[in-house]
Amino acid sequence: MSDVIDQAAGLTPEEALYQTRRLRPEFVEGAEACRLSVLTPEDDQGLSADLRLALAQRMAVLNGDAPLQHDYQAQLAALNPSEALLALAAGGIVSEEPLATITRHADRVTQQPIQATEHHIRLLEQAGLSNPQIIALSELIAFVNFQTRVATGLRLMRSA
Amino acid sequence: MIPSINLKPLHWHPYITPVDVEQATPAQLDAMKVTPSNKKISEYVRTLVHDPESYTARTGLFNAIMYVEGGLDRADRELGALGASIVNGCRYCAVVHARRHAQLAESDAVVSAIYFDRADVLGERDAAIYHFARRLSVTPSEATPDDIAALRAVGMNDQEIIDLIHAIAIFGWANRLMHVLGHADLNK
Repeated sequence: MSDVIDQAAGLTPEEALYQTRRLRPEFVEGAEACRLSVLTPEDDQGLSADLRLALAQRMAVLNGDAPLQHDYQAQLAALNPSEALLALAAGGIVSEEPLATITRHADRVTQQPIQATEHHIRLLEQAGLSNPQIIALSELIAFVNFQTRVATGLRLMRSA
Repeated sequence: MIPSINLKPLHWHPYITPVDVEQATPAQLDAMKVTPSNKKISEYVRTLVHDPESYTARTGLFNAIMYVEGGLDRADRELGALGASIVNGCRYCAVVHARRHAQLAESDAVVSAIYFDRADVLGERDAAIYHFARRLSVTPSEATPDDIAALRAVGMNDQEIIDLIHAIAIFGWANRLMHVLGHADLNK
């Protein structure tokens, strides 16, 4: 069965690379389990599904990953998101808190993780995030950066 | 002649308070695999288990990518992890995986060359892996089909390249936890 990464990489079951990817069922199933754990966890720690999808779409944009951007966009649209979340998702400027602080953090950690410091965690705390929320947000940011790299790598394999 | 690098193991210290095992929820205890004979849980685990669902899912995927049998040599996976960790600025992960590479390769020549900024002396295979790891780790990715062609030219098959992509990508994940949520130094 095709998954999000196949779709993002443009892989169809007829292709040899689709079958080669299945030689590692732990990776295929593991990535899917992780996707569910950061986007639709049973306990969302107070970070709603629409916020998670909006951030994921924005990070796909920052990674230049159009297929994943569209995937997240479609999932987000199904949840009737607010104007603020739509702007956030599309890569726009966000002014309301705590969205603004969360968004700046996601942008920095996606684009330049090397620049992250303790101060940036304190900013999340000042914006009102609890420790479980800081961890859940960190895992979401890190997951999307994993997912875009797997999709990018597979796309490069198809075109090389 | 490039000197041999001496990389001492680092200790990681979180910026937020880890979960206290005595006060952990059933889901957190389950994720940490706490048992009467296993009560000493690292700060790293206790920090990330604030969100037990993502902790459990990621740990399973991470272990598969770095340790699953067959396919790409484990040393090559460590080299991919090292390239990602340098780009992402995770000193802790870089040292852990540089040391592991040296153990598995039974030589510190590759990691010494990298730490002394002499990647130009790497052999063809190591160079292909390292440069791909670096370019795929940048946001947005700077990797190109030529990088894949270079991996194929040194004899890597598609399954091995898929293994490598995952090793690099999972450090795009791990580095964004370890470097963002804490700092590393020589002090316990």
